Amino acid sequence: MTLDAILQVVISGLLMGLIYALVAAGLSLIFGLMDVVNFAHGELMMVAMYAVFTLWQVSGLDPLILLPIVAALMFGIGVAIYRLLISRALEVRFNKGMVQIFATFGLAIFIRGFAQMVYGGEFRSITSSWLANRTANIYGVYLPLPQVAASLVCLAAFGILLAINRTEFGRALEATREDREAVALIGIDRDRIFALGWGLGSATVGVAGVMLAGFYYVSPNVGANFALIAYVTVALGGFGSMIGALAAGLLIGEVEAITAQLLEPSLKQVGMFAIYLAVLMFRPRGLFGKI
Amino acid sequence: MKLFGYLAAATLVLGAGQARAADDIVIGAVYPLTGNSAPVGLDAKAAYETAVEIINSTHPEIPMLMGKGGGLDRLGGAKIRIVFADSQADPQKARAETERLITQEHAIAIIGSYTSATAATISQVTERYEVPYMSADNSSPSLNQRGLKWFFRTSPHDEMFTAAMFQFFKDEGEKTGHKVGSVALFYEDSIFGTDSSNVQRKLAGDTKVTVAADIKYRANSPSLSAEAQKLKAANADVLMPSSYTSDAILILKAMNEIGYKPKAIMAQAAGFQEQAFLTGAGALAEGGMSRSSFALDAVKSRPAIAPVNALYKARNNKDLNDNTSRDITALVVLVDAINRAGSVKPEDIRKALVATDVKGSETIMPWAGVKFDETGQNTKGTPVIQQITGGVYHTIWPFDVAVQDAVWGVGP
Repeated sequence: MTLDAILQVVISGLLMGLIYALVAAGLSLIFGLMDVVNFAHGELMMVAMYAVFTLWQVSGLDPLILLPIVAALMFGIGVAIYRLLISRALEVRFNKGMVQIFATFGLAIFIRGFAQMVYGGEFRSITSSWLANRTANIYGVYLPLPQVAASLVCLAAFGILLAINRTEFGRALEATREDREAVALIGIDRDRIFALGWGLGSATVGVAGVMLAGFYYVSPNVGANFALIAYVTVALGGFGSMIGALAAGLLIGEVEAITAQLLEPSLKQVGMFAIYLAVLMFRPRGLFGKI
Repeated sequence: MKLFGYLAAATLVLGAGQARAADDIVIGAVYPLTGNSAPVGLDAKAAYETAVEIINSTHPEIPMLMGKGGGLDRLGGAKIRIVFADSQADPQKARAETERLITQEHAIAIIGSYTSATAATISQVTERYEVPYMSADNSSPSLNQRGLKWFFRTSPHDEMFTAAMFQFFKDEGEKTGHKVGSVALFYEDSIFGTDSSNVQRKLAGDTKVTVAADIKYRANSPSLSAEAQKLKAANADVLMPSSYTSDAILILKAMNEIGYKPKAIMAQAAGFQEQAFLTGAGALAEGGMSRSSFALDAVKSRPAIAPVNALYKARNNKDLNDNTSRDITALVVLVDAINRAGSVKPEDIRKALVATDVKGSETIMPWAGVKFDETGQNTKGTPVIQQITGGVYHTIWPFDVAVQDAVWGVGP
């Protein structure tokens, strides 16, 4: 293998890894905050992809311009899901865990069915944008511009998430995560924090969805392809840890790219799951997990 | 009293409706109607509904088998009714749904099913219940080689399709001097992809073409960039993909992302024949070639194409493609057999299917005809090779039905 081919593998892994990280970040946020696994996480990403696709079709504006609109929309959807569904699922007295699983799982199936009803099962693509199908060639190594843009946005999103952690709200998030009963005593409205957490988590995966739509197809099942990897990323990085999600996403991207080169491409997920199992065995709280 | 009158009238109407429904001949169709393969399944549904419209309703005659309309004349004008079931492209769900169609819906024949993996389980069930399975659009060669008595397939399979590809390479080489010395195989990891690659590997060996890359990939992967890099390293004369729609879009994008333009693409149809692929891949797909069992542009020799396509388009807002044309053909061949049998007993239908001998000109396909061998495979389904120019497939081989010459090169 030549040097530029090796570099190409590393860069492809890096670009994909950042997307995985951003998809996982929202999941990790909600999981870490309130111990709820959101099985509809991939579907939220799919909703964002359809949203940007529809807005692009109607307005003809570039997905990059539509990014803040979709992120705001997804924030609203996240808050609504918490208020209408999750907060009620949290109130049940027995078998809480199961109820939460079924609530989000049912939501996933509903969203998927709804998307198919509205858009049909067709695969859609954003065919014209500033960056569509463009690449930059740097000394024989190719950089696909839509993915480079996605990676930059991903890094920026992580920057924002980490900055939020340092604000009053971030500290309230952290406190609620540590002891959700005690925070009420110091005047933090737990319900409001949870709702904002859901909003933030959905907006994050929404950003990932918008950037992904720039170089990926949109279909009702597109979320499922990424959701499994997101769960692995969260578990690997440590529940609730943003840095963990980032590191684990990058690790998974690289391991996947390298495994595909060393073994058969159909076995490329083997390396990723091997590392996941090893972490589960030797460090069950994940690479950066505190709990 | 007035209310009673209405109720009585309503009961009569409903009763009459039910009586008519009971006389309908029920055929079960198992397709992926939700999930990743749903677009193809929903197109198939529209295709069958079009065929049923042609068979059942009264209309000017369409020059095609069962194109007369008015139901099945040898069964007193009985109407065909199709009951659809959703397999979600899952072989186990397909098995359960087939059983339900036969036992609950009393389907006297099953038609299906797009993915070959589901056809494998469906045809096991139909064999056990002894009802015919008409394989409309499954292309794995192994399906008819399992000694099944109730399996029939109008469509050519991937061995015949692949033979056509290599024959095309040879013919093109003799005609223009453009030789194909190496191919790269790229295939998804279910029965369709692996069977297709097995045939391609064998035929490449037989025709002394080097297999420069042999890449099996996981269907519906989030990324195919590693696979694209392997294809780039091999840089074969022709890339031969066997992929469903989502992966077909993704691999063309992935190759472009690493600056790789394959010298030529010869696809085992499937996803590459879908409109969603042509739209999604856009200019990247330009020049791509694919086998097909259908030629929309063969209107001269097949006068039924225009009226059938118009009816289908009115229903689904799309032109007929490789899959939907095969679906319509399979259904009319099956219904013609039921009509010839003059009976709804499965054994009579099976005998009529065995005796089928339809001329190509009685179908919408560019085939020599429909005649089943002892394995239930149509031996007269002759494929064509098509190429994408201007975002549309045009027939380029066999040369006698071609509408334009092949051009080598892929992409904008």
